Amino acid sequence: MEEIVFGIGITALAGALATIAGAAEDTESDIGSQGDPNSQVQLAPQMGYIHRIFNKAIAGEPPAYGLWVALGAGLAWAFMAMQMNPILAIVLGSALAVFVQGVYATTAYLGRTASLAKFEQPVYIDILKSMTTVTMAHAFIAIFATVAMCHLIISALGHPFPLPLLGLVWGIALGAAGSATGNPFYGKERQYQEQKFGAGVPISASGNIVRYAEAGERNSLDNGFFSAKLGGPASGICFGLIVFFELWRTVVFEPLAAGWGAIIIGVIVILIFAVIDRYIEVWARNTFGPYAVPEVPEVPEEASS
Amino acid sequence: MAVKIEVGAGGVPHNQILIYGLVGSLILIYLTYLNSATNTEYFAFFGGLASVAALVWGADTIKHLCSYGLGTGVPSAGMIALGSGVIAALFGAMTGIFAPIVAIIVAAIIGAVSGLLANHVVRMDIPVMIISLTELAVVGAITVLGLIAMVGGTFDFQNLFGGGSVSLGLVIGSGVIALIFMLAAIAIQHAFNACLGPDEKQDRTLMLAAECGFLSMIPIAVISFAFIAFIPALISLVISIVGWLYTYMRYIELSKRDAYAWLDAKPILEPKGGA
Amino acid sequence: MSALGGPAQTAGFQPPTGMGIAVSIILIIVALALAFFLIQMAGLLALVGIVIGGVLIGFGVHFVPVGGAPAAMGQAPGIATGVAMLAAGAGLAGLFGGAWAAPLGFPLALAGGAIGGGLLMAITCTMVNVIYIFGMGIPSASGKVDKDPITGDTFPEFKSQGTEGHGLPFISWVGGVIGGALGGLGGTLIYLELLEVYQAQVLVSASIAVSLAGVFAIGMFLMNAVLAAYNITGTIEGPHDPKFKRFPRAIIASATASAVAGIFAIALFEVLMVFIESNLMGAL
Repeated sequence: MEEIVFGIGITALAGALATIAGAAEDTESDIGSQGDPNSQVQLAPQMGYIHRIFNKAIAGEPPAYGLWVALGAGLAWAFMAMQMNPILAIVLGSALAVFVQGVYATTAYLGRTASLAKFEQPVYIDILKSMTTVTMAHAFIAIFATVAMCHLIISALGHPFPLPLLGLVWGIALGAAGSATGNPFYGKERQYQEQKFGAGVPISASGNIVRYAEAGERNSLDNGFFSAKLGGPASGICFGLIVFFELWRTVVFEPLAAGWGAIIIGVIVILIFAVIDRYIEVWARNTFGPYAVPEVPEVPEEASS
Repeated sequence: MAVKIEVGAGGVPHNQILIYGLVGSLILIYLTYLNSATNTEYFAFFGGLASVAALVWGADTIKHLCSYGLGTGVPSAGMIALGSGVIAALFGAMTGIFAPIVAIIVAAIIGAVSGLLANHVVRMDIPVMIISLTELAVVGAITVLGLIAMVGGTFDFQNLFGGGSVSLGLVIGSGVIALIFMLAAIAIQHAFNACLGPDEKQDRTLMLAAECGFLSMIPIAVISFAFIAFIPALISLVISIVGWLYTYMRYIELSKRDAYAWLDAKPILEPKGGA
Repeated sequence: MSALGGPAQTAGFQPPTGMGIAVSIILIIVALALAFFLIQMAGLLALVGIVIGGVLIGFGVHFVPVGGAPAAMGQAPGIATGVAMLAAGAGLAGLFGGAWAAPLGFPLALAGGAIGGGLLMAITCTMVNVIYIFGMGIPSASGKVDKDPITGDTFPEFKSQGTEGHGLPFISWVGGVIGGALGGLGGTLIYLELLEVYQAQVLVSASIAVSLAGVFAIGMFLMNAVLAAYNITGTIEGPHDPKFKRFPRAIIASATASAVAGIFAIALFEVLMVFIESNLMGAL
């Protein structure tokens, strides 16, 4: 019994760490403008819209976070092998991983922007000076939380994978969850803020991203501030739920029915999410309601979230 | 909607880079064998240099392949390269002194099969597909093998069971191999992915590839402190940092050369034609 | 992924060339024969398991609804990320669960892998819809079909102008969960087969066997997922998408690639033994 209570405590802690990691991951990738919405940042100068947004093209978020977290985990493992205290080892490992992330971020901005010279997009070097450190800080939180979670899963719950391998697995999952949930919010709601709410961006508007802010010119820090309101927390909840349910069903229900308890609970959780998804889908259809077909789509009432 | 992938023309011909990359990395990786010959670990850093040479070649290959448009991102090419490469590298590592050569042959087989499948079964019908995926798998295998040699001091896995080096068993058992895998997978695709665009220049892209290689060496050198003696690991670390600083500075200079303008805290310059 | 969304190849379904099929069949037979020659029946069965695992991954990727860059702008339905990587995220989460359950036996580990992958996709797809609906006020609408095959919802009147549809209709949600489950199942199957082969080696410690099997499972997963992503040229809406019909090509490709990569992974320690023996001979 005591073992199960301990396991539940670790599960809750791991879920909390994963939530923090997910929120930081999405905010980081939006400040740097990484992943699919970055295609618009890349496209804008070609359409004549010169901008001052970061252009952090380092592969999609899943492989990039697979590397950062595996790197943090591998370095933390090496420091622990040198008889260092685990907490210090994870902090130092994450810090070094963040250094690599920061260097990749600067080279990506310089490379992509210099290759756009034909479209008169200049390199704004102050973007690198002021924003790289902010993405690095967010990345540090995401990496540290994920590596700490992996360390807990191994040392307290006894997963057979070594730390760097587990870091790779959960890093890719973190990037997948964060990019899937957070990207549309940054891509549609922020970059195309001038477009109608409640409708997709017409393909003809591609590249016409918002370049001016409330005061002055928009930079990527404004985007981080915006994603931190919904996209980031939603990504955090997404990754936190994934980690929590994955651990919870194993830790609590594996002793039942010779191990099949964990499988049955997994199926039940999937079915519950199916019901939730279907419910909000129907709710959206009824609330936003059919658009007038030939007309420009109406702006539906603002959704209360 | 999709941004067309454009690449700059000119520069050193690809075949020349291929030969330099292949021969150079093979020689460099064999130089780590000096460790066994002299019974020290001072030459581990040659493994990292071998992967830098291979990555420069791989970046140029990716440029050739991806200029055809794959329908999915440039990073996928890095993933398939390393997926095949890591298997070939570990298979090769089992064969003692023949490791690099066996790894290259096995990687070429797996890469050629992937290319054949991509062209003839999945019907990508890209002319350079087979040769490019073969090259990329070989690059992946050399990079993994080089970084293994750098972190553990040798690529000879027979020591593992012959009562010799215990540390190589740890390289695998600790999962550091997973980190090497990912480090190489991102490094191989980053140079072209970060520099693509109409004004892409070969020297800048390849300089970035070398920068990625040296940057990947830095964490590997730090981890090697856990596996090999202090002084050899320190030598690796110093060489990686010096190499990285040099290539990073050169890359910034080249970016400055190619950029439309290099501005600090200036407003948006609307293009002359108007937005 | 970044900046490179959208299919490059718009032509319809082209069947594999005769040469492609012939080479695939020959390679699979050669690999199976080699496996039998090296470790007898156990090797053959392990390779068959790896091939099945690869096929499951390649097939599963076709179910995962991925819209790429246009999805991030609400211009196309699906999840706004890269297909190979989203499938990898789900498949590796499944591998995590499967590897954890490995000591409890084969069926349980496989089921654990499938549920792990399915769970990740179920939660991710639900959160994607939460963002579309509550963050952006956009209801789901498929661009490829007019009616959801499962729920019977109609889409054209919910599609905003100038887009190919948006959001994640229920059929795509179901496809995502099936894809994640198949990916998790396939990845776990490859891992378990390799683990069995490596654990049979007396010289290999448990941690080396787990790490090697894990790294190779990830490597083969990515190979198969990328080949499948090439097959669907980057984006797909789910099982109702016309591109889904291309899956036989990916199955042939995945089976062959897994057989070739698998035989090297299986033969790893056999080769080592040969070399150690020859070294001993030389020493004597």
